[in-house]
Amino acid sequence: MEHFIETIGRNMFAIFGVMALGGAAVVVASRSAVHSVLAFLFAMLCIAGCFLALEAEFLGMAQILVYAGGIVVLFLFVVMLVEVTKAKEKEVFQLQSRYAIGAVLLGVAAFAAVFRKVIFGVASPQALKLPENLAQGLNVAQQNAQAVSRGLFAGYLLPFEILSVVLLVALVGAVVLAKTERV
Amino acid sequence: MPTPTLLQSIAITLIQCVLVVLFVFVVVPLTVFAERKVLGHIQQRLGSTRVASGHIGVTGWMNRGMWKWGRIPVLSYWRGIPGLVADVLKLILKEDIIPAKADKFVFFIAPAISMVSAVVVFAAISFVPGTFFIFPAWFPGLGGLPVSGGIADINVGLLWILGVASVGVYGIVLAGWASNSKYPLLGGLRSAAQMVSYEVPLAISLLAPVVLTGSLNFGEMAQRMATGTSAWGLVPQVFGFLIYLTCGFAETNRLPFDMPEAENELVAGFHTEYSGMKFGFFYLAEYINMTVVSALAAGFFLGGSWLLPFGLQGLVNQLLPADAWIAGPHAIFFVAKIIFLLFTYIWVRGTIPRYRYDQVMSVAWKYLIPLALVNLLLAAFVRCAV
Repeated sequence: MEHFIETIGRNMFAIFGVMALGGAAVVVASRSAVHSVLAFLFAMLCIAGCFLALEAEFLGMAQILVYAGGIVVLFLFVVMLVEVTKAKEKEVFQLQSRYAIGAVLLGVAAFAAVFRKVIFGVASPQALKLPENLAQGLNVAQQNAQAVSRGLFAGYLLPFEILSVVLLVALVGAVVLAKTERV
Repeated sequence: MPTPTLLQSIAITLIQCVLVVLFVFVVVPLTVFAERKVLGHIQQRLGSTRVASGHIGVTGWMNRGMWKWGRIPVLSYWRGIPGLVADVLKLILKEDIIPAKADKFVFFIAPAISMVSAVVVFAAISFVPGTFFIFPAWFPGLGGLPVSGGIADINVGLLWILGVASVGVYGIVLAGWASNSKYPLLGGLRSAAQMVSYEVPLAISLLAPVVLTGSLNFGEMAQRMATGTSAWGLVPQVFGFLIYLTCGFAETNRLPFDMPEAENELVAGFHTEYSGMKFGFFYLAEYINMTVVSALAAGFFLGGSWLLPFGLQGLVNQLLPADAWIAGPHAIFFVAKIIFLLFTYIWVRGTIPRYRYDQVMSVAWKYLIPLALVNLLLAAFVRCAV
């Protein structure tokens, strides 16, 4: 019993990964757009589980907060509004099973290629690492959020800020596109 | 103290989960009862008295006496408590109707999502500082092992709470969609927009105490508030607290922000087509969410979860000897703060009329988000200055 539970605990990452892939397959294969979004939510939560299994607590929580709690809700919002045009939706949503198989095979292959060590080998996942000068006085394995924030705001501040500007560009672009009629 | 093995720690966690669920199932009906009574007295009536133990107990005896004297029995505060049992029985026994054109799977899973995401939040909230109780030595398998006051005292507790609570939106949105009916759909759409909007100022207003104390962990935060920042518990964060409370009301779909179910516009909003225990799950989830919002407010704005509010703890510690029961952190303060905030919920419900939908959205985006950002900026300045 004890041994069994320990085995499950060690392979948590693979379990969540397979579940996330299953969810992703349902996203592509499902006939109803809302079911797709539900499966997408499931996949996102499983990816958060993967992060947790790698002891990246902060990333896992951010994954739940940003993707599951924010972005997928907006997906659902849009899909619920689009659902009104039933005929068009059927056209779009009935041809995709072969794409689904292809996508899933590709996903499984990529998953296996990246994480073959975790699945087939005995290698345990590596803990988060910071450059020596940044990790001073910090227990990286325990203080995840602090480690990430040091990385972002001390080590890689410029790339981080540039990234946020890129996101801002997307935001402004969306506003411009949405407002074209009124300008 | 012996360290538990893997199996034992799993068993302890399961016991903690059962305790949390029990806590929830005790708090929620009592809140419902308090709501009926308090709302009744706010509106100058008695509240629920129909199913009452009028003939047994001290209050029943006093009430009968007052009726005999020709007075209205104002002592009837406890009348109606048996009505709670009747209510629960009604919810469980009522026929479970699924509309013919509903999406069966989504219709089934929506209340479950609401309920689960509301309960799971409690994993990161510690009710009692340190050890809750120690199993007696005779207990089979677990003798002498400590049970801590929170299920998982994780490092990023605040993020866990916010993240899981934000998943609760799906319950309402999907319920609205799966019912395949106009009013629920409108309610679902409203709730998607409203809850995503109010999450932003809610999270930003919670960040201010995090910046002041420098921790995302629920227990550690209370500790730091006790030692270093006792006076910062509420007084400088009073705007943050008000912003947080407003957003909390909106997030839990309570009046004056109950847009998803505004009953004089949308029949009953997202749960129009629900009946029986499926409706009961939405009902439970709403009250559990209220408790969670109150618990968070107690921990973040009312001076740490197990301490006296307003920085009084520091004063008490100076005046009283260190072994006085009030000197240390105490679970009673936590529960008292939660009860007070739940009362505030009911109080506001009885006082403020419902906003219009466009007003709700403009309050969030035009006022609360800028105010919350300014508040965060001020908190950062205070942190740098001190």
